[in-house]
Amino acid sequence: MLNDLRLRLRALFRRKAVEVEMDEELRFHFENQVAKLMRSGWTPAEAQRRARLEFGGMEQIKEEYREARGVSFIGTFVQDIRFGLRILGRTPVITCVAVVSLALGIGAHTAIFSLIDTVMLRLLPVQKPEELVLLARTHALLESDPTPSFTNALWEEVRDHQDVFSGVFSWSDSKFDLSRGRAVRQANGIFTSGNYFRTLGVPPAAGRLMAAADDQPGCPGVAVLSYGFWQDHFGAAEGAVGGTISLDHHIFQIVGVSAPGFYGVEIGQNFDVAVPVCAAAIFDGKESRLEHRSWWWLRIIGRRKPAISVEQINARLGVISPEVFAGALPPDWDPQGKKDFLKLRLVSSPAATGTSYLRRRFGEPLHILMAVVGLVLLIACANIASLMLARGAARNKEIAVRKALGATRARLIRQLLTECILLSSAGAVLGILFARWGNALLVHYISTGRNPVFLDLSLDGRVLAFTASVAVLTGTLFGVLPALRSTKVSLSAAMKGQQAEESERRVRFRPGRCIVAFQVALSLVLLVTAGLFLRSFVKLVTLDIGFDRNNVLVVNANLKTAKVPRERRLAVYQDIENRLRALSGVVAAGRSVMTPISGYEWNDRIHVDSPNAPTGEASLCYFNYVSPGYFGTMRSPILTGRGFDARDTSTATSVAIINQTLARKFFAGVNPTGKYFRLDPAKPGQPAPTIQIVGVIKDAKYESLREETYATAFFPIAQIPENDEEENFEIRSTAPPTALISAVQESIAMVNKEIPLEFHTLRQQVDDSLVQERLLATLSGFFGGLALLLAMIGLYGALSYLVTLRRREFGIRMALGALPQSILGLVMRDLAVVLIGGVGAGAGLSFLTVRLLQKMLFGLSPHDPATIAAAIGLLSAVALLAGYLPARRAMRVDPIVALRYE
Amino acid sequence: MADRRIDLPQGTLDLLILRTVALEPLHGWAISERIHQISSKVLFVQQGSLYPALHRLERKDWITARWGVSENNRRAKFYELTRLGRKQLELQESTWRTLAAAVAQILETT
Repeated sequence: MLNDLRLRLRALFRRKAVEVEMDEELRFHFENQVAKLMRSGWTPAEAQRRARLEFGGMEQIKEEYREARGVSFIGTFVQDIRFGLRILGRTPVITCVAVVSLALGIGAHTAIFSLIDTVMLRLLPVQKPEELVLLARTHALLESDPTPSFTNALWEEVRDHQDVFSGVFSWSDSKFDLSRGRAVRQANGIFTSGNYFRTLGVPPAAGRLMAAADDQPGCPGVAVLSYGFWQDHFGAAEGAVGGTISLDHHIFQIVGVSAPGFYGVEIGQNFDVAVPVCAAAIFDGKESRLEHRSWWWLRIIGRRKPAISVEQINARLGVISPEVFAGALPPDWDPQGKKDFLKLRLVSSPAATGTSYLRRRFGEPLHILMAVVGLVLLIACANIASLMLARGAARNKEIAVRKALGATRARLIRQLLTECILLSSAGAVLGILFARWGNALLVHYISTGRNPVFLDLSLDGRVLAFTASVAVLTGTLFGVLPALRSTKVSLSAAMKGQQAEESERRVRFRPGRCIVAFQVALSLVLLVTAGLFLRSFVKLVTLDIGFDRNNVLVVNANLKTAKVPRERRLAVYQDIENRLRALSGVVAAGRSVMTPISGYEWNDRIHVDSPNAPTGEASLCYFNYVSPGYFGTMRSPILTGRGFDARDTSTATSVAIINQTLARKFFAGVNPTGKYFRLDPAKPGQPAPTIQIVGVIKDAKYESLREETYATAFFPIAQIPENDEEENFEIRSTAPPTALISAVQESIAMVNKEIPLEFHTLRQQVDDSLVQERLLATLSGFFGGLALLLAMIGLYGALSYLVTLRRREFGIRMALGALPQSILGLVMRDLAVVLIGGVGAGAGLSFLTVRLLQKMLFGLSPHDPATIAAAIGLLSAVALLAGYLPARRAMRVDPIVALRYE
Repeated sequence: MADRRIDLPQGTLDLLILRTVALEPLHGWAISERIHQISSKVLFVQQGSLYPALHRLERKDWITARWGVSENNRRAKFYELTRLGRKQLELQESTWRTLAAAVAQILETT
């Protein structure tokens, strides 16, 4: 063994010496042989000839000898790389195009994979993340997805009753206003139970972290900062610990900073400040969510004891569930609700990768994009394969010579494959650079102004392994076929000369056509995909949403934070609305509790005394409180009846304006104006509020553009019960709405300097709801275009090559009287065969695959004929363009020059 | 040149080389000559198989090579048997004898 290693190493590192020795040994043998032959009477010349014949190919023996040395693999590998680099360097432009197109493909693939990795696959950077499980509740009898939210009472019951976790904690995401004055500065906050950091095993970077003692009823506010926030906001000053921070105008004491690299358990949302769960009382005042037994705001993660499996945990949780839910029963629920509540069960699921809303929202789009990018990469590979094929054919002679000198076919294939791996490795290295840049772009894309996404996108082993395997795979993919083809050289044909070689080359390039047809097919699939997403997006953007999103500034104002007493709030809001309406440049102003397409909703059942009116789940209706100016500002026309006005005060009759959908569903065939509907009583035993309908308004989207319009009822904002903490002002302006911001700030400051304000435009709000669709439309459009470009290059390259090979043939044809048009016909026939084959296969492939996109589309079928026709049209036009240039060159072949060529 | 050359069966070359260098260190050419002569010119070892085989045996540590001076005063690489090689030779020899005897028996009786 040792000897073996010694010899191998020697052969590897003292290559020269070993080669010299081998030469010497073989020469010695040869000379002895010659001497022997001479002794038996041959002339020196004849003796040499015979010895050589006996010997066979000297180089072949050497090669076999090298093989036997056992390191020839590494030795020849280095040799192959050197040779490969030289070959690639000889055609720098082609090499660059190949590397860049690979880099784009591999880079995009890496970028998307790294996003998938970060959002879905990566383990939390905490101690033993595989032990973490997320708790959820599910109904024991009804089939429903487990919901992972809990009330504080339930959390306390779970904490006190569980015996399967070595630690368990609850948390809730929140936003805090850091400002002490007017303009809101949002920070990402989390409420954490006392043992959050300890259970996760996250150490402090400074000071101390939350402890169980910090999370007690009636606690004073303490805060823990994240490392990033401490750096950005406090310049990593030691003095920050022990200082204070203002959260929603409440002062909290900073006790410590958590370790770097820990961003919380919700992927996509880094936390800046953590406060204990008990601090909710500080923000909420008397009726806090700590006591509220139907406020589902907490989530729970447990760390299972090492010896216990998830199944065992679920079994045990099932056992303690009745006790837990009985202890947290909401007293004000009706009897049926209470019965359902007691049927709830706890279940757990692995949470090693944390939780993330991004998974639900972007999981499918990211996988679609991954597939799209994979196809682009395949097209790029196909380009390089046909390039290699053409180059292999051109190197026919070189390969024949090497073979004649004793190179084995395997050895030649290895050489050619090395060139391919070199190309793909260069592509991968460049691709990683592209990926870094693409990642930033992707995160920017899925972030919205009001909901920024934070992701730790550092490259990890998994991503690098992914890129490396993609590189090797692509290299092999485009390398194998050309390598096999071009090493199948017939020695005699290769040596015969030009003519034989040309026909040989044409034969050899035959798979090139298939490759190009394959590219055309894949491009068509991508174009159809891109077309579908683009058309869906356009349909969504141009949809009649029932209000005019342009030129409206939305101002969110919170009087509760500004500590305006409840009974004065209505008057203050009204005052502000009047002042805003009077600003110069303002066309109209109104206010409301909800704004459309904001992601917030408020719904309940309504009852109408009519035999045909919907009941049960179907009677669900969506609500909003709006001021008299709201409909005018939103440009939502009132169709019948009246709008709200000064009559509708808090003491007047309860009234509502309904939309067309509600009118159609509940009052089919009758005029709803003047009719009544009832709401559920606020508390059991109280009378049900009765509301009179005074008008009908045009349908408008409520929560998302994709929804079937909800049945919606609007109430006068003056008749709002008590809970009006924050309201939104809508201001329609003549100028770009953001230009109004400072005037609005000044105007509101004249009423009260303490009111925190948030600004955005209605347009922004609507656009933000289309992030997913925009991501898919833009990226699939981009990659569709890229695919088209690559296919065009492929087609152009293949046809140019074929034309070059047929120069002599064309020359002869023309010398014999063929018209240029018939030559054009010959080339175009080649193109047509490839195009028709490719489009046919592509159409079939599209038909099979686009069905998977159904869910992501809006307002059109995945087999939308217009889209498919447009894609085929575009592809054919581009293909003809790509084919025209080589065809023109073919027509201009000068017979004399072509024939003199030899 | 009416040599009755027979190509060596797979695996026997190693045995022949080991046998040939068992008596004294020899260089490659001498090994092939010795095999050729002793076999009454029946067996002929191609150089293309000889040198790779020598190298293979060297790597297995059955023979070892060193540079010496040949009979005609030239530098040449001499191969000699190692202890491991000698054991191997005995083993292979007895295997071969058994095999040859068995084959001969079958050929004679059927």
